[in-house]
Amino acid sequence: MASYRTPLGRARGLGAAKHGVGAWIAERVTAVALVPLVIWAVFAGLRLAATDYYGAVEWLTSSALNPVLMGLFVVVGFMHMHAGLRVVIEDYIEKHLTRAGLLLLNLFVCSLVGALAVFSILKVALGGAY
Amino acid sequence: MVQLVLPKNSRVQKGKHHAAPAGAKKVKTFKIYRYDPEGTENPRWDTYDVDVEACGPMVLDVLIHIKNDIDPTLSFRRSCREGVCGSCAMNIGGRNTLACTHGHEEVPGKDCQISPLPHMPVIKDLIPDMSMFYAQYASIEPWLHTTTPEPQTEWRQSPEDREKLDGLYECILCACCSTSCPSYWWNGDKYLGPAALLHAYRWLIDSRDEATGDRLDELEDPFKLYRCHTIMNCAQVCPKGLNPAKAIGEIKKMLVDRVV
Amino acid sequence: MANYQFIDHKFDVVVVGAGGSGLRAALGCAQAGLKTACISKVFPTRSHTVAAQGGISASLGNMGEDDWRWHMYDTVKGSDWLGDQDAIEYLCRNAPAAVYELEHWGVPFSRTSEGKIYQRAFGGMTKNFGEAPIQRTCAAADRTGHAMLHTMYGQSLAHDTEFFIEYFALDLIMDEGVCRGVTAWKLDDGTLHRFQAQQVILATGGYGRAYFSATSAHTCTGDGGGMALRAGLPLQDMEFVQFHPTGIYGAGCLITEGARGEGGYLTNSEGERFMERYAPSVKDLAPRDMVSRAMTIEIREGRGVGPKKDHIFLHLDHLDPKMLAERLPGISESAKVFAGVDVTKEPIPVLPTVHYNMGGIPTNFYSEVVTRLGDDPDKVVPGLMAVGEAACVSVHGANRLGSNSLIDLVVFGRSAALRCADTIKAGATQPELKPAMTDGHLARFDKFRNASGGTTTATLRLEMQKAMQEDAAVFRTSESLASGVERLAAVHAKRPDLKVSDRGMIWNTDLLETLEFDNLVGQAITTVAGAHNRTESRGAHAHEDFPDRNDETWMKHTLTWFDDKTGKVAIDYRPVHSYTLTNDIAYIPPKARVY
Repeated sequence: MASYRTPLGRARGLGAAKHGVGAWIAERVTAVALVPLVIWAVFAGLRLAATDYYGAVEWLTSSALNPVLMGLFVVVGFMHMHAGLRVVIEDYIEKHLTRAGLLLLNLFVCSLVGALAVFSILKVALGGAY
Repeated sequence: MVQLVLPKNSRVQKGKHHAAPAGAKKVKTFKIYRYDPEGTENPRWDTYDVDVEACGPMVLDVLIHIKNDIDPTLSFRRSCREGVCGSCAMNIGGRNTLACTHGHEEVPGKDCQISPLPHMPVIKDLIPDMSMFYAQYASIEPWLHTTTPEPQTEWRQSPEDREKLDGLYECILCACCSTSCPSYWWNGDKYLGPAALLHAYRWLIDSRDEATGDRLDELEDPFKLYRCHTIMNCAQVCPKGLNPAKAIGEIKKMLVDRVV
Repeated sequence: MANYQFIDHKFDVVVVGAGGSGLRAALGCAQAGLKTACISKVFPTRSHTVAAQGGISASLGNMGEDDWRWHMYDTVKGSDWLGDQDAIEYLCRNAPAAVYELEHWGVPFSRTSEGKIYQRAFGGMTKNFGEAPIQRTCAAADRTGHAMLHTMYGQSLAHDTEFFIEYFALDLIMDEGVCRGVTAWKLDDGTLHRFQAQQVILATGGYGRAYFSATSAHTCTGDGGGMALRAGLPLQDMEFVQFHPTGIYGAGCLITEGARGEGGYLTNSEGERFMERYAPSVKDLAPRDMVSRAMTIEIREGRGVGPKKDHIFLHLDHLDPKMLAERLPGISESAKVFAGVDVTKEPIPVLPTVHYNMGGIPTNFYSEVVTRLGDDPDKVVPGLMAVGEAACVSVHGANRLGSNSLIDLVVFGRSAALRCADTIKAGATQPELKPAMTDGHLARFDKFRNASGGTTTATLRLEMQKAMQEDAAVFRTSESLASGVERLAAVHAKRPDLKVSDRGMIWNTDLLETLEFDNLVGQAITTVAGAHNRTESRGAHAHEDFPDRNDETWMKHTLTWFDDKTGKVAIDYRPVHSYTLTNDIAYIPPKARVY
């Protein structure tokens, strides 16, 4: 189908969304936050690998810092993942419906898995896992 | 999905071969994309064995030699032949550049492949349709916006403020940058591309302009601006040595400055 | 003949060409509320104005006292008194306002420490009527034309000028001596168009490509001049072709005169700054015709540089590298790319190269095209204007001063627009066009499209360019010019044998170059004919058999008509205006032109 829309009309498109800087800042902020969180998580992971399940539970409940940091790691990590995947989808998926569907899927999966992870951490941290 | 393969009627076929004339001293083969919009055939690669001793040092010299002495039907844009008009931008040896300032010796390999700027609709041979690119440039309103009544003489501008325009105003709109940008390939209809954004920054940073905020408003968009993922192809290929990616980074910084 | 159909357009004004003057005229007309079209064979920012480097002259006085009268005196003297002084006064008086207007549009001029527009010295620009060099040329580094053109294109976007880009103008629609419009060929879809207008403004630039080596772009093929000749109109002062002293040896690319304005100088094989001998007061900043002649003499007398002793060195290596980077970045790059020279360390090899055509379509200072009709030397051709290098106002006379061309573009582009606003009623009824007015256009187009002789356009074009290069050079003799006339007649005679290989209508550049060549031929022929006819030396026309200026006989403009069929040139004259525009300055009488 030939489009008779003028190039300027196409270039202007739907106009500017007048947002985007927020998402851009969020990407950077989560990235920066993940630097210490990942380092912490690596150390935590090494430590947990050396112990068994009960040891892990004990470590998690031993101080307020451990469950909080783990929760933050998971939340910030999934936020960052969501933002990154969103860019990939926007970049490469052209069809509007597929794009919208995948964006929703991205949001739902990241939120669901993130929420499950946070819930699990809270459950262990607050109640213990016996 | 992004289209990764060419549609059937765009697949490039093998074309004609033009042998070097007898007595040629130094022969180099140029493989050139040909497309005749008035025929029914697919595009083709024609090969030309050119005696490079018989023509000047630049790729444009070779193209003109081919057109003058071998095959007058070859079509390409050209004008100033000194790298300021931006007409002869094309893809040479896999790299977007100006044919007039790019020496054929600089092209690596035995053969030199020449095709139109990538990811643009081709009108004929090496001539792409640039109308969308120009419209994107127009959409950033590339003129001075002022509300204060104009002075009798010039608007004053300090040499330091003027220096901020260096590396920006020199752009020749050749489109080498935009058409080398993967983001522009995938979202060229919504992403403004490096050239238009470089110009947008040229007006944003001009100390005489009074519409900085409005300009930023018009740029703040997930697609128009934020499709730039600092891939840096633009800066790599710019035949004038400019850095559009840096300009785009500066725009993003200005948007952050507005809210932080 | 194929059945060609025109697509019709109706406008108040149609501007042909989108360089500096075309854009300025189109902008002005659009601002005046006239429905304006601007047709161009290239995208506007690719027009040759983009290649102008050094600057735009105007007596702003930012670097010290200046006066438009001094500017006028310099321009008159530069023109070797062939310029019309009413037009020159108009130019110099209006120059400052024109530059401020450009600045207000956003041109990124270089700045002084006070934040004003930076001005540099240029050839022939002096203070107090010839006393000493002055800084009068407003510059945006060495990319002034580029900065101007891009800014003006931006402005025309702001004013919704209607562009028809990559349309190649074919011919003027003439109706008993009145211009009614122009026909054009749209390259990207192969359609033909008929633009009707109350006023056509030709802003098509010069015909530098009539020569083999020129600083001009490949697209400088004088299409407007060619159209005017075919419409039976004369061209004026075609014998005056400016050679720029500093074209890069071999490549022919321009090195701005601003390089000498910033302190550069020329040397011969003995390392001598020879310009001190030829122009003791202004030295390397003498006008271009004098510097080009001096360089040619040095080379002829065996003092050229290089293995063949056939060029001259331009030195910038004594200048501060920081200053070079700030004020001359463009030519530093050009010298590197095209001569392999690092300007901070080595001199640039240069040679006088064809650069500008002082001649063109004769106009008055309103930019209206004029012709000679019987005793009336200023008969206006209704409906037709010309501006820029395509026109001959004549403000440049026999030799243009550097940086006077950019100001010519904007001042006369503006004057054309003002005149249109004064004389045209927006939307006025226009007479119906008849097929007979454009049948010839189609016949010519079709003839070349189907040309099936034995000579390619490139071959014949080269023959013309070589003849021009050798026979109408910096120095001319009766013998060389007679040879030029003969050789170009031979080129003209071979035109029916042309061969065009591409028969298409879409972006057929083989046909495009043939049509351009056809435009060039007429102008090449009138150039040598005018030069052969003018038995004196004046400005850029240096006739060795007649080395002196002869005001008694030759203080007049040459008009040349060209018969396309026979190739014959008819010559007549227009008087040089011996008056100024106002009483603010008196006519500057001719005197010896020494610097």
